[in-house]
Amino acid sequence: MNTSGRLFSTFLFSPIGIVYLLFLLAPIGFFLSMSLFRYDAFELYVPALTTENFERVLTDGYYQEIIFRTLKIAFLTSLFSLLLGYPLAYFLARSRTQWRGILMFLVIAPLMSGIIVRTYGWIVLLGSDGAVNKTLISIGLIDQPVQILNTETAVLLALVHILMPYMVFPLFSSLASQDPDVERAAGTLGAGRIRTFLEVTLPLSRTGILMGSALVFTLSAGSVVTPALLGGKDVQMLGQQIYDLVLTTLNWPLASAVAFVLVLCQFSIIALYFRGGRHGPA
Amino acid sequence: MTTQQNSSGSSFHAARRSRITRQIVMGVTVTAIYAFLLTPILIIILSSFNTTSANTFPADGLSLQWYREFLESPSFLAAFQFSAWLGVVAAVGATVIGFLTAYGIIRYVGSYREVAQSIAMLPIMVPHILISISLLILLTVLPIPELAGLIIGHIIICLPFTVAGILASLDGVDPQLERAAWTLGASRLRILWEVVIPLVAPGLFSSLIFAFIISFGDVYIALFLSGPGMTTLPIEIFSYMQWESTPVIAAITTVQIIMIFGLGLIIERLVGLRQIMRI
Repeated sequence: MNTSGRLFSTFLFSPIGIVYLLFLLAPIGFFLSMSLFRYDAFELYVPALTTENFERVLTDGYYQEIIFRTLKIAFLTSLFSLLLGYPLAYFLARSRTQWRGILMFLVIAPLMSGIIVRTYGWIVLLGSDGAVNKTLISIGLIDQPVQILNTETAVLLALVHILMPYMVFPLFSSLASQDPDVERAAGTLGAGRIRTFLEVTLPLSRTGILMGSALVFTLSAGSVVTPALLGGKDVQMLGQQIYDLVLTTLNWPLASAVAFVLVLCQFSIIALYFRGGRHGPA
Repeated sequence: MTTQQNSSGSSFHAARRSRITRQIVMGVTVTAIYAFLLTPILIIILSSFNTTSANTFPADGLSLQWYREFLESPSFLAAFQFSAWLGVVAAVGATVIGFLTAYGIIRYVGSYREVAQSIAMLPIMVPHILISISLLILLTVLPIPELAGLIIGHIIICLPFTVAGILASLDGVDPQLERAAWTLGASRLRILWEVVIPLVAPGLFSSLIFAFIISFGDVYIALFLSGPGMTTLPIEIFSYMQWESTPVIAAITTVQIIMIFGLGLIIERLVGLRQIMRI
């Protein structure tokens, strides 16, 4: 029975094992190691060790600017997602309204409609003929349509909108799993509402905050389609550079070095978040 | 005595008033956040009935011309059909593999469950463009057809969600039932087929739908792996939008939104969306 059990568990795990090893880990390892290969116009890459790709990415002012912008946009996206997502998650976790199911659905449904759909919605909203400009003109705040499309603001708005649900779910589960008696106890001991929130609820939801922020940061740092459609030529992010290098310039070693830098940024931010999570109080 | 009563009464009223104020502030905040979440989607639906070709809002009149244009456009229709086909194939693949994995995690890894679960979640933590480019480069090295690469890519991005969703369903299955079947002489495969699968059928069905939704909405995998004759709808829309932007996109995405919302409601009915969204 033990041998047959082992055989059976091999049967259960081999499909995912093959898929992840052969089509996820091995190709990613191969692609990232290409960053050490030399670029060749005819053969695409020559397996001769060199650090020239990394030197170019890290010293070229063009790439430095894009790395900085990517980190900035990713940071602001996770910050604003947190500011908007927290009240929403708090409301969903604490409210006893009969509409809660539908309200949850309305957070999840936009997420399922895909990135292209929501990016397109922002193009319609933010265009010079779009609803935002028309509204601002009709209430007299401006007399000429302002340029919102093709700016960092447009990219940031859309990314917050697209990625905020990823912040709400971890926050919701950490808020919903809190024992309501703890808050009540703080109240009984004389803490006001605000103090209870700052000293009890907020620290207890730290895991959710960290998980959500890390997830949103990673996803926004890797975005390609949203900045390409809403940011125009001036708001380039790392993802677009990789896309161009792989499909247009066909410089795969350099693309690999850029991707390596992107992954490094993402993982160091995740590590930072979780270090902060472990060393803080509570 | 009376003063005491009065003061306690007024503090009761003050507490009540502050509770009402708090509820109003919370209500306004939450409503504003929902408006932010849903406005872009409502705007798309409204502008799909526009009469002019610019993305103007509010609409100048009502018409169905953009829906007609969608139905008369061979490239958009082909992309829609291809995406639907790919979504079904990827959903079946990801659900079958996800079910085997989830069952293995629940019954065969014991205390390593957390570790196994986080390994299964790997594709969420890796940027999707990285998965996609790496597969593209793999295709240049190994003799694998491009279509297979696209299908495998979609299976990979769906797997974390199918595994998590099916795990949640399997948690509700009493292992005693399987033990009883085992005692009665059923083989492991037969137990899986005749005992476990019927018990988690709603979970499997919603995992199929959810994987279909993920595959249908994906841009990043298809960005590098779709080619001539195998363009997905999001990629078709993306390449169209880089040159022009007419309400025909609004019509197509409205169809997509209605389809996705409908499928989402089916999942909600079957197992609850919250269960399948738990990562």
